[in-house]
Amino acid sequence: MTAEGFDPEEALQSTVGLLVTVVEACGAVVIVVGALWAFIRFVGVGLRRRDASAFVPVRLVLGRFLALGLEFQLASDVLRTAVAPSWEQLGQLAAVAAIRTALNYFLSREIAEERRQVAEDEQDARDRATQPDQTRPGTAPT
Amino acid sequence: MNVALDLAALTVSAAALVSAVVVLLSTRRPSAALPVLLDLLTAAGLLRLAADPSWQRIAGAAAIVALRHLLVHGLHVGARTRPSSTR
Repeated sequence: MTAEGFDPEEALQSTVGLLVTVVEACGAVVIVVGALWAFIRFVGVGLRRRDASAFVPVRLVLGRFLALGLEFQLASDVLRTAVAPSWEQLGQLAAVAAIRTALNYFLSREIAEERRQVAEDEQDARDRATQPDQTRPGTAPT
Repeated sequence: MNVALDLAALTVSAAALVSAVVVLLSTRRPSAALPVLLDLLTAAGLLRLAADPSWQRIAGAAAIVALRHLLVHGLHVGARTRPSSTR
């Protein structure tokens, strides 16, 4: 028995709707901030340097922003499952969650790969700095 | 909020085009500009999806994500199979 005028289901839907909006907005803000930061850095690096590898760190940071934004958006997808009223909306929700999960997975792999590459490059640079004379095989010292 | 998200998506899409052009002009390499373009278009696609998860936008976002993954994977494979000239 419910109090007059109070519908728990409607109250739950309103609360979840508000939470979904807030969490989705957080994800969107993170993505927008990351995209704008990356845009400024891409243009800045592009005007100063001509080396393609200079853009990789910027893409890496943008990937991290997208991954963080996706975490918020996936959280809002989970919240939406509480009040998805129709099969079509549930289907759309499943498709959106699948896309976001797949992108999150790809971004995580790329970030891990880039970290590994950066560590390897730093190690190579250290090795070359400590052993500068191993360049010409087959030549005997005179 | 949907209008704001759509506007943000449009802004990020424009930023994607400008960034890609800048990268292409500075490096003269489409292989450097394409990942930049696709990364920012992915961000724009996510924002459009947040604004209105219609089937059309879902398909658009899925296409961008798939294209980005194929390109990044392809570029990585290409870089690994190219002979190293540094040692």
